Amino acid sequence: MTIDARAREPGRATAELSLLVDIGSAWTKAAVVGRAMGRWRIAAHAAQPSAWDEGELIATLAARLTGRADARVSGRIATLLADAPRIAVHTPARPGRIALAAVSSELSGQAARSAAEAAGWVVVEAVMVDDGRAVVDRLSALQSAEVDAWLIAGGFDEEGGEGALEVAGLVAAARGGGRSPVVWAGSAGLTERVGAFFEPGVLRAVANPRPSADRENLLPLRRYLDGLIERLVERGTARQLAPIGFGRAVAELARAARLRVVGVDLGARYATWASADENGMAESRVVALGGLASPTLTAPGGPARIAHSLPLAIDELAVADALQNLRARPGSIPQTDEELAVVHGAARDLLGDLATSGPQPGGIDLLIGSGRTIAGAPLPAQAMQMLLDGIRPIGIVQVAIDPAGALGPLGALRDDEIVEGLGTLRDDLLTPLGAAVVCRGGRPGHFSMRVTVHRVGWRSLGPIEVRPGQLEVVPLPRGQVAELEIEVDPAVSLGAPRRTRRLRASVTGGAVGVVLDARDAPLILPRRSDDRRAVLGGWRDTFVREVRPPTEGVA
Amino acid sequence: MIEASLHRIHLPRGTVVSVRVGAEIRPDEVIGLRRGALAPVRVPVTRALHRQPGEIEQLLVVRPGERVEAEQPLAVVEGAGVVLAPVAGLVLAASGRDGTLLLAPLGSEETVIGHVRGRVRAVEEGSLVVEVPAARLHGVGGSGEAVHGELVVGVPNPGDELRAAAIDAGATGKILVGGSRASAETLTRARAMGVAGIVLGGVLDKELRDFEAIQRRRREAGGMTGSFGILLVEGFGKVGIDPQLFAWFRTHAGRVASLFGADGLLYVYDAAPVPMRRALAAVGDRVIAHRRPFQGRGGVLVALLEELHSAQSGIPTRMALVRFEDGRLAPVPLANVEATVLPEGR
Repeated sequence: MTIDARAREPGRATAELSLLVDIGSAWTKAAVVGRAMGRWRIAAHAAQPSAWDEGELIATLAARLTGRADARVSGRIATLLADAPRIAVHTPARPGRIALAAVSSELSGQAARSAAEAAGWVVVEAVMVDDGRAVVDRLSALQSAEVDAWLIAGGFDEEGGEGALEVAGLVAAARGGGRSPVVWAGSAGLTERVGAFFEPGVLRAVANPRPSADRENLLPLRRYLDGLIERLVERGTARQLAPIGFGRAVAELARAARLRVVGVDLGARYATWASADENGMAESRVVALGGLASPTLTAPGGPARIAHSLPLAIDELAVADALQNLRARPGSIPQTDEELAVVHGAARDLLGDLATSGPQPGGIDLLIGSGRTIAGAPLPAQAMQMLLDGIRPIGIVQVAIDPAGALGPLGALRDDEIVEGLGTLRDDLLTPLGAAVVCRGGRPGHFSMRVTVHRVGWRSLGPIEVRPGQLEVVPLPRGQVAELEIEVDPAVSLGAPRRTRRLRASVTGGAVGVVLDARDAPLILPRRSDDRRAVLGGWRDTFVREVRPPTEGVA
Repeated sequence: MIEASLHRIHLPRGTVVSVRVGAEIRPDEVIGLRRGALAPVRVPVTRALHRQPGEIEQLLVVRPGERVEAEQPLAVVEGAGVVLAPVAGLVLAASGRDGTLLLAPLGSEETVIGHVRGRVRAVEEGSLVVEVPAARLHGVGGSGEAVHGELVVGVPNPGDELRAAAIDAGATGKILVGGSRASAETLTRARAMGVAGIVLGGVLDKELRDFEAIQRRRREAGGMTGSFGILLVEGFGKVGIDPQLFAWFRTHAGRVASLFGADGLLYVYDAAPVPMRRALAAVGDRVIAHRRPFQGRGGVLVALLEELHSAQSGIPTRMALVRFEDGRLAPVPLANVEATVLPEGR
């Protein structure tokens, strides 16, 4: 933890303050950490468009502290904040751009693309032997691409393959010399022959992400591309990058609490998925164009998909314009109900992509949502719905948000300081939304789960029967612990293999409560638009029925 | 006085730059030459040398990726013969299956044009950096290629839609300033009439996609000539150009401009500075709103509300009270307005 070490004027009261700052591509989030009653606490937080000046952020934070700070320093709080030491992270200035050449769209191409995107690269051009284009068009596309690096993939390790040599030759011809590095992630047996296509020192061979037809091994390529992006695009500042800091903080939270934790940070440009097990072993996926300005949302089919998922009758054309405006002006906020519905629909869609784009963790004990759209949602229930609808975390999971955007900056601390920082701020860092029991499967006419909620000092609730497609929210305030007695239908899964239809679990409450969710995974919706909207509206109403207004909002 | 800005021209790989650092270039000046690759041909290698196809790699004296000239040896067997390149081209691959070499012949020389006026500051790998002394306008989006042409205002008012009927042969080679919207039909007609580019306040995403799909089909079918660029300055939907900016365009009608659709960028030469935008508006500022229901409307920020207030969407935020030009007074999230400032600070 950074401590204010400024020289103090004798006899003049001062304050020990630090700022945690996350400068995003669209929004800047800041939290004031101060000492109160001998403890470090997050005293205030605020967010504002990144285009606004820092003085405005300081003024907003100072206004939030008015009346809460000690009277001896309240008149000088803005000055103290401006002078306070800060721990800052930022979104990468620009993503790394890579061109991909592979043999097969579905095997080598898909594996290499996944690894590159999970490492934060944007694949600006991809050519595959089976992409239906003429060779000359592939060559021309590669020659026109503006890239920082090249990635070639193809051929199984045991078999080699002429197709892989052809795409390597295509890259060699398109690249035409220069300094840009080439990564060979294809058949191990072809490495030497491919290397001969390039000048000495240009090619780097990495383990094949698709070594055989039935096996994928993305990690070595991802790790290499992680390092490459740091060397080529963001030299020497890796820890100060928000996605890196976020992943480090999630790993430390998991290790300290001995929990399996998944954190998702959905920003304007970047989306980060960080998962860590009880030992702090972490995996992160950083998708450079995975945020709310993602081109996947506005690509053909995107607006229709989002419109399909909305409880409001908003036509596809209006959704398309709203999504484009979101991309064009990410620092603005949804002003109408319709715009908010579109943004939340887009967030659910992106979270779904993020959750399915990599290996699924064996189970999640704690799911954390970060980023203004999720953590700054008008109602906690809306944040809960985005996370559950998007990720579909099968099992029993605690859900929380990072309202101050403090995880990224804390993750930028040195290893030994992260432990201290997270430990010191543990009570303020996350806002618990509650818990969720999410199941997959179910049979029409039978209950999916029957749950009795035993609360200490209160009468038990239930048994509550939840049928396929249904959702129930049981109020359970923050800090209150309940014992859930769950009986599940034989056709229903809670993720982990089980020996019994009955199980017990202890959960902690939050701003929303306990969500009993039998809506299957992925969500199944009626085909008729009226029926679909009625179902979606019913789910939305169930979520928001028991809500409290948030205490602090955006700038 | 306009401050020059640095503009990076992306050069396709294989371009031989024909201008030097320090040279002054015009928008229509050739800055490089490039020979694009044509459909590849297979050059028999092992058959000509009476060897097995699988031996091809040992026979080659060139490697994939290499550029070869016509008559340059491709493969040699000491004392037995040589295979020469039939044409100049790029070696793409060697096939061990049939013993051939895949060679992409190089087409005739094509000129590369920068579309900007200015002084060359640097020649880098894959790009040319040019110092451009022009008024620069960043839009929120765009589409198409780099173009240049004379600026022409195509609508009487900033909120008017640019109609297909308004585009005639007089607009050929020009950059047309439209209003709040242009349909796919209008954009298609503009391109067909040889209009270089269009500047719009807004466009419906659907119309833009339809237009791009038509262009893609035409390109695939062949026969499409000339470049065309679109610049979007306010947002998606039917959104008028800010009246101040529209007035600036009117003042500069007839000046030469360069439009970079994909980059959302416009340079206007010999022009006064563009009315600026400031993200954080203050009381008394003239502002423009960016989100529905006021998207594209201008007004004056008359007050900032104390504390946080909920927008209609329920998001608690700082609110500005804006008197719009139609007389309406409405609270708008401060993050959703930008101050518009004339260069003289008015």
